[in-house]
Amino acid sequence: MRKFTLSCLAIGISLIFGALILWLMGKNPGEAYMSILQGAGLMEKARYSGRQSMFTDFMSLVDAMTPMIFASLAVALALKGGFFNIGVSGQMLFAGFCAHMAAQFLPSRIVVVIVGFVAGAVVGALIGWLKSRFNVNEVVSSIMLNSILMYVITFYIYTFYINPVSRNSVSVPAAARLTLSGFRWEGMKVDIALAFPAAVITAVLLHWFINKTTYGYEIKAVGLSPRAAHYAGMNVGRTAVITMTLSGALAGLAGVAYYCGYLAAIQPGVTPSMGFDAIAVSLLGGNNPLGCVLASFLITVISKGSVYMSSRQNIELEIASLITALILTFAACSAVLDRRRGK
Amino acid sequence: MAEPIVEFRHITKKFPGIVANDDVSFTVNKGEIFAVLGENGAGKSTLVSALFGMYEPDGGEILVRGKPERITSPRYAGTLGIGMVHQHFRLVSNYTVAENIVLGLEPVRKVCGIPFVDMKKANRDVAALSERYGLKVSPTDVTGDLSVAAMQRVEILKMLYREAEILIFDEPTAVLTPQEIDAFLQTVKTLRDSGKTIILITHKLREIKAVADRCAIMARGKLVSILDVKTASTDEMARLMVGHDISFTTEKAPAKFGEVVLDVDGLTVKNVAGYDAVKGVSFQVHAGEVFAVAGVSGNGQNELADSIAGLAKVSGGTVTLSGHDITNATVREHITAGVAYIPEDRHNVGLVLDFTLRGNFPLRLYDSPKYSRGSIINYREYNEQSARLQEEYDIRSSQGGETIVREMSGGNQQKAIIAREIDMKTPLIIFMQPTRGLDAGAVMNVRKYIIAERDRGAAVLLISLDLDEILDCADTIGVIYSGKMSKIAPASELTAEVIGEYMMGVGKTA
Repeated sequence: MRKFTLSCLAIGISLIFGALILWLMGKNPGEAYMSILQGAGLMEKARYSGRQSMFTDFMSLVDAMTPMIFASLAVALALKGGFFNIGVSGQMLFAGFCAHMAAQFLPSRIVVVIVGFVAGAVVGALIGWLKSRFNVNEVVSSIMLNSILMYVITFYIYTFYINPVSRNSVSVPAAARLTLSGFRWEGMKVDIALAFPAAVITAVLLHWFINKTTYGYEIKAVGLSPRAAHYAGMNVGRTAVITMTLSGALAGLAGVAYYCGYLAAIQPGVTPSMGFDAIAVSLLGGNNPLGCVLASFLITVISKGSVYMSSRQNIELEIASLITALILTFAACSAVLDRRRGK
Repeated sequence: MAEPIVEFRHITKKFPGIVANDDVSFTVNKGEIFAVLGENGAGKSTLVSALFGMYEPDGGEILVRGKPERITSPRYAGTLGIGMVHQHFRLVSNYTVAENIVLGLEPVRKVCGIPFVDMKKANRDVAALSERYGLKVSPTDVTGDLSVAAMQRVEILKMLYREAEILIFDEPTAVLTPQEIDAFLQTVKTLRDSGKTIILITHKLREIKAVADRCAIMARGKLVSILDVKTASTDEMARLMVGHDISFTTEKAPAKFGEVVLDVDGLTVKNVAGYDAVKGVSFQVHAGEVFAVAGVSGNGQNELADSIAGLAKVSGGTVTLSGHDITNATVREHITAGVAYIPEDRHNVGLVLDFTLRGNFPLRLYDSPKYSRGSIINYREYNEQSARLQEEYDIRSSQGGETIVREMSGGNQQKAIIAREIDMKTPLIIFMQPTRGLDAGAVMNVRKYIIAERDRGAAVLLISLDLDEILDCADTIGVIYSGKMSKIAPASELTAEVIGEYMMGVGKTA
């Protein structure tokens, strides 16, 4: 509960700072924030172009939020187990890529989800194994893996899998895509994120798993105090590998929801920045799976809404990123404050 | 006429859920050894931390040399000539002794206007200081390689180098061996005779009796009494401290030995560095017997306890529990077979400090059918156990079972571990340094539990550096020296002197 208060405080303070910056730039902070809410589909815009409404805006917000929930859950679980999974980005990319490949042969939604889950788990397990077997710091190994996976996949896409027009990869077949893009309903074109309910259910399940099962108890004990965990009769190395495998699997689901849902293609040459934002989102959510859902919602509102704000109020897109960054910085500070108080 | 140097006036300090100091007032005179005595959680450390600038009191004031001072930081305390040796040392382990001592006040030599630390001068200064106060250290040794007693000498020199006049010691002897304690007490006297004022926080009556001039007794945040140590009796001090009389020998019925429970044969264990720390040790513990291992710190006790509990790998010999070979079985198998273990390091091993109290109780049995069905935690059982153990063992905390263990006092943390392990009702229970850092009342309680476990019919293995404790509890005593059991005999046949000789490696090997 205290964490919740601290997170809210972080958000409040950063919104005030953001308002200050907007005001110094000669803009009206109230209007700017209102246009963020309008852009995110939480408030009615003045007018809409054809086949669009507040509802379609809101649905695309949900679409963008879905992979973020999975990614922040991946970070939160790893942190519970004492791992700093900075490799969510690479795991997402790898899982998305594997899902794309599988969809070429078997264009089905079930297949891409399973393949993405497994692909992410494999990368996570590798990081966990390297840590427990050779004591390789997970930050180092996952950053390295981010680069390795990104370049190998980029090479493959440029060589065999490019869409010459978009300079992105070939798009995933519609039958395997987790988002129903431009679905016609009541005269509107709606993006429906089929994976969104799954993301929320996963968060609830993960919350239950961490707090109500002996596996969760082991993961937390190993994360907080490996020597006490050993004394408790836990297999510290195995628990570490399990933690990272599950974290990788969640990152894999994020990758599928991102590359075979929110997007249909893979952009070569970059790892998704969502994998890094997820770290901050998880912190903002107090590393609590349900908190992650709320934090994902908030951060996505700002990132989605800021596009509209920048065009509407003639404010640079970077300012929106700045506000997001402020929230995350204050969230990180509040996490530290919380820990100090605990002493 | 005594000249007051520090005066506490109506000091009050509150923490969430607890009043650590409640209107405490007393005066410390220049050039005396002033002891502050009290049970764990009595508020001693909080009080002197305020003097050292680590906390600001909520009410009252502190006068130093007659002047009211707001001591806002340890740095400011330093300028007032106040130094403190903490219970856990604050040294940089890969610095040399001299580097640690001069840290923050380094002698500087300028070469072409660029300041360099003048290590030669630092080494000379430290050597001179060490000579002057008879505190033997070698300035160029790396601090991390030193024994605990030597590190403490470094801490003392660090204060003296800063020309501190008022020296505070927080539980200075908790980590020392009997011989080191004697040397330390001698040092304290020397420091007093050279004009320093010493504030000694402790709960060991013997030490106060040996060195202190006056003594303030605190209980539950309040000042109970100030006594002149020379005229006060130990019994009186003990009574005031705990609020009731305590007998200094645990009463126990004669032991009734049963079957052999633990049979250790030719046990060899390597330490972390890869050397044999335990070398071919053999002994047996029967049901209903307290087998106590005496010895000076660092003679293989840790490795012995860890290997029998399954935490450390056995490199030779066998460990048998009630006829079953448990050599090199996993920790889980040891727990299932029935080995309870109270480890020495209660912070890193015995508890998950960031778990709640309720979450720490099932730490060793969380996977058993009692505490989980399938893999789902049975919180009803957690709550029941938590309430029961807190009640039975008088474990105090600010928020009951929901308290984060890190926020509890050391004595209550230890009670929680002991409660948990005894609650497992195993045929073998290992106590490793169970009363280290505990106050007199808690010590007596722990010893009662040890005897109660024996009378229940458990085999008890007690490993302790405290000879009084061993003589108090043991039915059989084994002395460990340099990884070998140099003497095993019934407690009734041994005296403290004889054990002491074996502990130092001079006794005749039987």
